[in-house]
Amino acid sequence: MTQTIIWTIAILTILGALLAVVLYVVAEKFKVEEDPRIDEVEKVLPGANCGGCGQAGCRAFAQHCVQSESLDSCFCPVGGNDVMQKVAGVLGVEVAAKEPMVAVVRCNGTCENRPRTNEYGGYQSCRVKAALYSGDTGCSFGCLGCGDCVAACQFGAISMDPATGLPVVDEEKCTACGACVKACPKNVIELRNKGRRNMRVYVSCINKDKGAVARKACKAACIGCGKCAKVCPFEAITVENNVAYIDFTKCKLCKKCVAECPTAAIHAVNFPVIKPKEE
Amino acid sequence: MMKTFSIGGIHPNDSKISKDCRIEVLPVPSKVYISVAQHLGAPATPIVKAGDQVKVGQVIAEPAGFISAYVHSSVSGTVKSVGPRKDIAGNNVVHIEIDVEGDEWVEGVDLTDTIVTEIPEDDKATLDKIKMCGVVGLGGATFPAHVKLCPPPGNKAECLILNGAECEPYLTSDYRIMLERSKEIVIGAAIMKKVLGGCPAVIGIEENKPEAIKAMSEAVAELQKTAKGYEGISVMSLKKKYPQGGEKQLIDAVMGRQVKSGGLPISVGAVVQNVATSLAVYEAVQKNIPLITNVMTITGDCLPMENQHNYKFRIGMPLSYIAEVAGGIPEDAVKIVSGGPMMGKAIANLDATTVKGSSSLLYLTAEQTVRGVESACIRCGKCAEACPMGLEPFLLNKYARNNMMDELEENAVQDCIECGCCLYSCPANIPLLDIIRIAKGDVIRIIRGRGQR
Amino acid sequence: MNKLLVSPSPHLHTKTSTKSLMRDVVIAMIPAVIVSVLFYGWAELLVLGVSVASCVLLEYLITKYLLNKPCTVCDMSAVVTGILLALNLPATTPWWVVFIGAVVAIGVAKMTFGGLGQNLFNPAIVGRVFLLISFPTYMTNWAKPNGFISTAAVDAFTGATPLGLAKEGGVAAVEGLDYMDMLFCNIGGSAGELSALAILVGFVYLLARRVIKPYITLSILATVAVFSGIFWAVNPAEFTGPVFNLLTGGVLLGAVFMATDYVTSPMSNVGGIIFGVGIGLITMLVRYFGAYPEGMSFAILIMNAVVPLINKWCHTKKFGRA
Repeated sequence: MTQTIIWTIAILTILGALLAVVLYVVAEKFKVEEDPRIDEVEKVLPGANCGGCGQAGCRAFAQHCVQSESLDSCFCPVGGNDVMQKVAGVLGVEVAAKEPMVAVVRCNGTCENRPRTNEYGGYQSCRVKAALYSGDTGCSFGCLGCGDCVAACQFGAISMDPATGLPVVDEEKCTACGACVKACPKNVIELRNKGRRNMRVYVSCINKDKGAVARKACKAACIGCGKCAKVCPFEAITVENNVAYIDFTKCKLCKKCVAECPTAAIHAVNFPVIKPKEE
Repeated sequence: MMKTFSIGGIHPNDSKISKDCRIEVLPVPSKVYISVAQHLGAPATPIVKAGDQVKVGQVIAEPAGFISAYVHSSVSGTVKSVGPRKDIAGNNVVHIEIDVEGDEWVEGVDLTDTIVTEIPEDDKATLDKIKMCGVVGLGGATFPAHVKLCPPPGNKAECLILNGAECEPYLTSDYRIMLERSKEIVIGAAIMKKVLGGCPAVIGIEENKPEAIKAMSEAVAELQKTAKGYEGISVMSLKKKYPQGGEKQLIDAVMGRQVKSGGLPISVGAVVQNVATSLAVYEAVQKNIPLITNVMTITGDCLPMENQHNYKFRIGMPLSYIAEVAGGIPEDAVKIVSGGPMMGKAIANLDATTVKGSSSLLYLTAEQTVRGVESACIRCGKCAEACPMGLEPFLLNKYARNNMMDELEENAVQDCIECGCCLYSCPANIPLLDIIRIAKGDVIRIIRGRGQR
Repeated sequence: MNKLLVSPSPHLHTKTSTKSLMRDVVIAMIPAVIVSVLFYGWAELLVLGVSVASCVLLEYLITKYLLNKPCTVCDMSAVVTGILLALNLPATTPWWVVFIGAVVAIGVAKMTFGGLGQNLFNPAIVGRVFLLISFPTYMTNWAKPNGFISTAAVDAFTGATPLGLAKEGGVAAVEGLDYMDMLFCNIGGSAGELSALAILVGFVYLLARRVIKPYITLSILATVAVFSGIFWAVNPAEFTGPVFNLLTGGVLLGAVFMATDYVTSPMSNVGGIIFGVGIGLITMLVRYFGAYPEGMSFAILIMNAVVPLINKWCHTKKFGRA
């Protein structure tokens, strides 16, 4: 009995030692030489592997940062400037701060504004729907409402509003990784700068149809009338292909265009509500 | 043993309700809108402007590339406007709007009923006529016909296959022309065969159309007796199976050769043309009539028999106009399909107009066409059994939903012909083709990108 | 009509659905069920009832309250599992043992994997094997059938199946058994093993309705026949013969109804043949050399585990690719 136990222990010990040696030799022999800084950079990254930086994942991004000479072409939209500063610290280089961005849905074709002209009966995916036809409304540019952006968002920052049939971005959660922008077959979603105190002014329409056609399809369509462009003191608004676009790098949030727009296609969000002055 | 293709296939009910309705000529409406994108490839460039007077058969748009085609006016009158208009999918395409005045044809067109059996000698002139008359494949893909009839250097056509399979349920337009215009179709085949260097021609027809097989065989026999240049043309009856009319499937059925993945039919010596294309070739070469008409079927189970039609229409007619002339849209139709129920497009916009390749207005009821609720895959393998390309749709579906591009390519998603057999046969109502079609596009894009690098 | 319905092609759809397929399987099992009820009487009805009811109920409860998924009871797959499980148990099994079998089949073998289409192993067999190992006394107590019809042939076995006899007493013990009894009347064993003919009728129905393809079933039967044929030819004194092996035990029941389960069998025809040959071999190895008289359940379970590998190796032949 005792002997059995001793034998067992002895054999297992020898076996363990032998295998340890084998493992060590193999590990040494097949060791992959890697820049140790890649590990360090990876540690400071958020680890979401969202691909928002344009790389295949956080590890690939770390590699990219280490290999490129300057960090100008590298930006982690999830971690933002804080993380990039840390990366710069690890690598011992300088990096310029970038303005924080947020995903903006440029369509206000709610069920009410944009009556349905067809009924869609296929697989619930914007890509499938877009490949088939221009959508179940008269507008062939706007949101298709199947929620590909919701599925693409890894941060749970987009959800469909059942009342409007449009996606809603949770600004707190949005990391501006751009996954939704890529997922949207209609290019409805755009990354815009977050703006001072999150205040933003943007055209919530991308309909390139002529004014009358666009208006017929959707009450909230930009009809390309150009009133906003005329009233803008900073030349931030351009009207091209019957649709206005506000350049967020030029916009000073004066909101003059908002009042001017005849179809209320220009949205101003997060502005403080001005209390009516008491007389 | 009757021939058919070797892998997969399904047997949907063929529902050829309108098969005994003779071809009627649709009256011309007061206004037509002619699309410049009626063919595969680059949309044609309009060469008329508002205010121009046009005659029937006059060129109104020119090809904008090698794979492109001429577009002719189907009416005489005044061009009202040239600009974007929504097509059947609701997408903007440039249309030429023409107010109809009278019915005056361009000169040189032979509008008589005489059948010209003599085949022209000059191949180049023949090809030129086919091109100038804007003939495109009318089997569904609308590929410019003259391009297909000029095999790339190094390839020789060994067999011209005329596609009279009409394997899609409901459609009867090809069947009707095979009965009513059989001789013209055979002459068209002889013309194409001559251009291709005198290879044999086989007219493939499914066995569920015995009258068409008889009519075509008789036409071939008579022409072989009375005129020159018709030797080597034969009619082959094929087993009924969908998608027999698919180009690759038809070649497999008729010649017993499989076109390699990514290869063109000419690589196995085959050129496939639809019977309607053959008719268009006849009209272009023998009668100088450009391709401005075609035959479409108005049908559906919910349509009363007297409203079932086979119409000869002119391009540019609004679909809503045709539906009205045909007797209105039935109450219980929820979907209108242009083309067959397996591969046709659901019409989103009835204001859209007919194009060269229009083949039907098919009314489907909710019971027929509304898809069931998707449930879990039970791995029955019915999709793989049905796939005529030997693919495994259940696998492709899984890979596509997880964006596994390498695996998709390995499992040949790019070979998919979008025939719809997988989705048709899935007992769990999984939208296999919807998903695979998108994945196929992605993979083909990746393959092309690789080729360019 | 006002709004046109738009969807990608194809616009038609087959009438076959998951439910109709499952319904066909249930219909195909009816002959076997009738035979077993006729010969085992009320006891068998109780087993069947408890098994089907608990399978359906468990599936309903688990999908609704544990998985929060849409209820899948309507697709009838739980009914199929329930009937199969019952056909695999002796008629004398107490109701609570049957219930435990159902819990294991539906709760463990099916739902933990994610429900219909996801399970790796055939739920009914997992349930049966679990009971076989946990309650061997109940599971091997083959009481003589005492049903609505009684036949003399059945009385010949009291307490043991022909296979059990062969295991213990060697070939001599089963000599004199009439194969016609096995085919038509009945033989001792679990309910579904009673009549080979009833099962074959179901097989023909499934084939005619194109629910299953014949490859798996036929390759199992062929393998069993060939394997036992060789051994029997070499030494008929020690090994039982091919006809005996085909007609006894769960070979037919397993080959027709259980190995052909869509979810747990390979997708391709070639894969199906490999799968069937594997099952046949393992069954016969267990019968001839193993501790259990019957190896079908174990064979199917083992081959179920190999299915993902088979699926990886065996693909359909693709058009235009050599």
